[in-house]
Amino acid sequence: MTDFSLRVEGISKRYGSGDTEVTAVSNISLTVSQGEIVLIMGPSGSGKTTLLLLLGALLKPTQGRISLDGLDLSSLAEKALPDIRLHQLGFVFQDFKLLSALSVLDNVAIVAELAGVNSKVARRKAASLLTELGLAERLNFLPEKLSGGEKQRVAIARALINEPRIILADEPTANLDSKIGLQIMRLLRRIAKEQGRSLIIVSHDQRIKDIADRVLWLEDGRFKDMVTMVTDPVCGMALEHEKATSAVWEGQAYYFCSEGCKHEFLANPVHFQTHQAALSLPSATHQEYPLG
Amino acid sequence: MSIKQSLSYRNLIQEKTRFILSVGGITLAVMLILLLNGLMKGLYEQFGAYLRNTPGTVVVSQAGINNFIGSTSTLSSDTVETIQEIDGVSQVIPVLSQFIILDLHDKKQPAYLIGYDSSIGGGPWRISAGREAQSGNEVVFDRTLANRHQIQVNDTLNIMGEQFKVVGLSDGTASWMTSYVFMPKASMETLFGLKGDTSFVLVTADTGVTQQKLMERLNTTLAGVHASAEDEVIANDLNLFARFFSAPLQLMVGIAFLIGTLIVGLIIYTATTERQKEYGVLKAVGSKNNLLYRTVAIQSLIVASLGSLAGVGLTFEVARLITTIRPQFLILIEPTSIFGAVVAGMAMASLGAFFSIWAVTRLSPAEVFRK
Ligand SMILES: Nc1ncnc2c1ncn2[C@@H]1O[C@H](COP(=O)(O)OP(=O)(O)OP(=O)(O)O)[C@@H](O)[C@H]1O
Ligand SMILES: [Mg+2]
Repeated sequence: MTDFSLRVEGISKRYGSGDTEVTAVSNISLTVSQGEIVLIMGPSGSGKTTLLLLLGALLKPTQGRISLDGLDLSSLAEKALPDIRLHQLGFVFQDFKLLSALSVLDNVAIVAELAGVNSKVARRKAASLLTELGLAERLNFLPEKLSGGEKQRVAIARALINEPRIILADEPTANLDSKIGLQIMRLLRRIAKEQGRSLIIVSHDQRIKDIADRVLWLEDGRFKDMVTMVTDPVCGMALEHEKATSAVWEGQAYYFCSEGCKHEFLANPVHFQTHQAALSLPSATHQEYPLG
Repeated sequence: MSIKQSLSYRNLIQEKTRFILSVGGITLAVMLILLLNGLMKGLYEQFGAYLRNTPGTVVVSQAGINNFIGSTSTLSSDTVETIQEIDGVSQVIPVLSQFIILDLHDKKQPAYLIGYDSSIGGGPWRISAGREAQSGNEVVFDRTLANRHQIQVNDTLNIMGEQFKVVGLSDGTASWMTSYVFMPKASMETLFGLKGDTSFVLVTADTGVTQQKLMERLNTTLAGVHASAEDEVIANDLNLFARFFSAPLQLMVGIAFLIGTLIVGLIIYTATTERQKEYGVLKAVGSKNNLLYRTVAIQSLIVASLGSLAGVGLTFEVARLITTIRPQFLILIEPTSIFGAVVAGMAMASLGAFFSIWAVTRLSPAEVFRK
């Protein structure tokens, strides 16, 4: 692997100190190649967001090195980081985070302006990007007038406008319904593959694992071996097989996060039947997977 | 204009209510400062009105007396005659003055009574109705004071037990403390039993004789009297009386500034903190702090400019309204006061911006990933 774009070597992040010290990310190593799509999953509080912040040059690791095309981010001064984020990284957030006073077009164009492009060119570039993403009719709308899926497409255009090497997305589908969520993920995959941008996604969402080249499981700040995951048909939560309670209905096993969900299911099983009962993530024993 | 630059005003106009509130806050504070200041200036003006509008640049009083209003000074008729003979004296106006409380329709009304000789001068300088008080029991009343008590020309009133006829009304002689009432000096002498006495003598110098030289001559020639420059006497009166008012008025100006600052500071600050997430997003995607500072600062500047402008405009309207309803108030709005109030408005907004910029500085871009 020679044309890697992002290399992480033994990074850790500790919050606080003394009694309140929390090790959110612990000695993680990872290499993401150009055009690769990595999905990071894991339970709440496992350090996913922290890891994404470290990769996004928004947080300095307590230990370890992060390098982008050979450039060691940890050696850079704090002041140099905004420029790295502006030019090399694109961010997509769970709740879109568009600027409410700016039109769709300007929400995207302003980020190009920040990178030094004059506003005329920035707007032209933004318009063509938004048109590609199917938002040609929405350029002059304020964000509040858009649907969730449209907002997330604007956010994606914003993340792409400066042609970053890497796109970082934290729970990009969490505020979208499943159909739109899947559309957004396919769109992100197409962009990554066609344009050769690496895509790192943090998510609880089981459904998007199909679009990833690699799925990593984070637990207590470390990558763990994959476990078999099951989905609670009632609340849709992803659970470790071993930790779930189960019930059998018409010869099929179902898994639940709690007794409450189980009772709800048993009261009206037909209602929840459409949900996939159980699924397994690719089991793996290494922290890193070969590409492909 | 680039999108970056337009962000500040777009943020402003998106939140119309907040925008109007913050502009309104500055408007009111600037108006309050300007009005209070105008009242103070008006009061000062009213204090000096008599001396400034009557002839004479030097005021002669009893030795040890440096004030005109509120001081009792007694000069003999000999003194007045001596003054007339001094070289370099062109005009001499002897007046009697006394602070009195009038009983008008059972209402106590303080007034400043001037006894003058209409053939010499020292009386009202603008008569708006009737004529001067020439002889006998005649008075000229300040017009606003007369209006307040429904007194008209030809009315008769009781002053200290004597009946007086109102023969004229004067303009520019009002004050919200004590308005002026004029009567013939001889009548006032009788009224107070001060045969031949004079309180003050207003002296005008011959051409070619400076005020300074005239004062020196008067002070060396006459014993037991004190000659001072008119401006100095006015300043002494201000020092004696205005300090009772200027301290509380200045305190109120200070409070107006403080409240204005708090209102505007709070509004701009909450506007910033409510956009904290958005500013955080800009920081996260790679914006430098400078852009955010500028955005916040320009917002404040726009609010301050509009507010100050509206405040100045509104002050003139309100001042007109106040002086229509209460003519005894004089509100003097001077260019320097306007400048000062606008500076105050700008200062309020700057303080507001300062706290907002402080909030933006503390903002960690990593926070935007936390819900
Ligand atoms: N700023 C902070 N200060 C102190 N502790 C923090 C801070 N941010 C996160 N933590 C702690 O670090 C750990 C990892 O948090 P992180 O947000 O990375 O988890 P996560 O996997 O993204 O969780 P979720 O799925 O709920 O978003 C948690 O225990 C959290 O309480
Ligand atoms: Mg998280």
